[in-house]
Amino acid sequence: MSTLTDLRIAAVGDIHLGEDVRGQYRKKLAGIEERADVFMVAGDLTRHGTLEEGKLVADELRGLPIPVVAVLGNHDYHSDMEREIADELREAGVIVLDDDGVVIQCGERKLGVVGGKGFGGGFAGKCASEFGEREIKNFVSHTRSIAESWKVALKEIVADERVVLSHYSPIKETLEGEPHEIYPFLGSYLLAEAVDTAGADLILHGHAHKGSEKGMTPGGIRVRNVALPVLGRAYAVYCLTCAEAPPADWHQH
Amino acid sequence: MEAPQYVAARVQQALAEDGRTHELGIRVDIRGDQLFLRGQVSGPEQRERLGQVAHEAAPELHVHNEINVVEATEPGEDEHLD
Repeated sequence: MSTLTDLRIAAVGDIHLGEDVRGQYRKKLAGIEERADVFMVAGDLTRHGTLEEGKLVADELRGLPIPVVAVLGNHDYHSDMEREIADELREAGVIVLDDDGVVIQCGERKLGVVGGKGFGGGFAGKCASEFGEREIKNFVSHTRSIAESWKVALKEIVADERVVLSHYSPIKETLEGEPHEIYPFLGSYLLAEAVDTAGADLILHGHAHKGSEKGMTPGGIRVRNVALPVLGRAYAVYCLTCAEAPPADWHQH
Repeated sequence: MEAPQYVAARVQQALAEDGRTHELGIRVDIRGDQLFLRGQVSGPEQRERLGQVAHEAAPELHVHNEINVVEATEPGEDEHLD
């Protein structure tokens, strides 16, 4: 017989911290180690992407008793300080993904996390293509190269469970509530296509403050929009139920 | 007189691009000489700044700041994905 264990993932995005709310979000993380095995932050940690805000976020996430994995969001890029912000976070012990992956040991299980900021472009049938002006081609090819990196990272990673962490959305369903006209700036189906091709157990994203929490890729992978205004709570906790491999001397009858 | 749609677009752009706010998801509606701001932000100071930037971008209009401040509550029930 197999036994079931849960891998508990706490997640939030779009915390948009600034000096006026210093220390307040950290208070909400008290006891997170009782509720989750790992904490994932889906981008837009800052408001203006300044180094000062980056340092503040690093302080806010420093020394948590469980591993913290983060990606940056478009706000964190605004002041062209994204590398410096990522360095501050890493110095504080946060794992920052930039279109790559990491394996985290959670008890007996290996959790693979792949991701990055992601980007826009729109959704199948209503999206930009690599055609025409250089600016449009650059826009679409940026998303395409991100999706390709995720696909490669997902295929290469050796883990029991795989989660994708993004800022931009891979699907439309979790954008419901946002004006349709801005969907191309909120995500791209290329991200979902890449993850469906390589396989994963869960995709987490933020960015769409007025969107909806729950959706699914065309390939059936669960997607959760964890933007703080969508959740309305400090973080959500998703439990991946993992069937443990039966012992070697176990035979089915 | 400038069409209200263009004024609203200019105010929305100011809220997104002004260094004090950088807030993207705020809805701006204009009816006559009244300007309405709606949306959600994480703190009362950000709400005040948005009202101020909107006022500066359209000083001839009366600003109604109807933005909600979202307080993140304690984490709720876990979701089991199986």
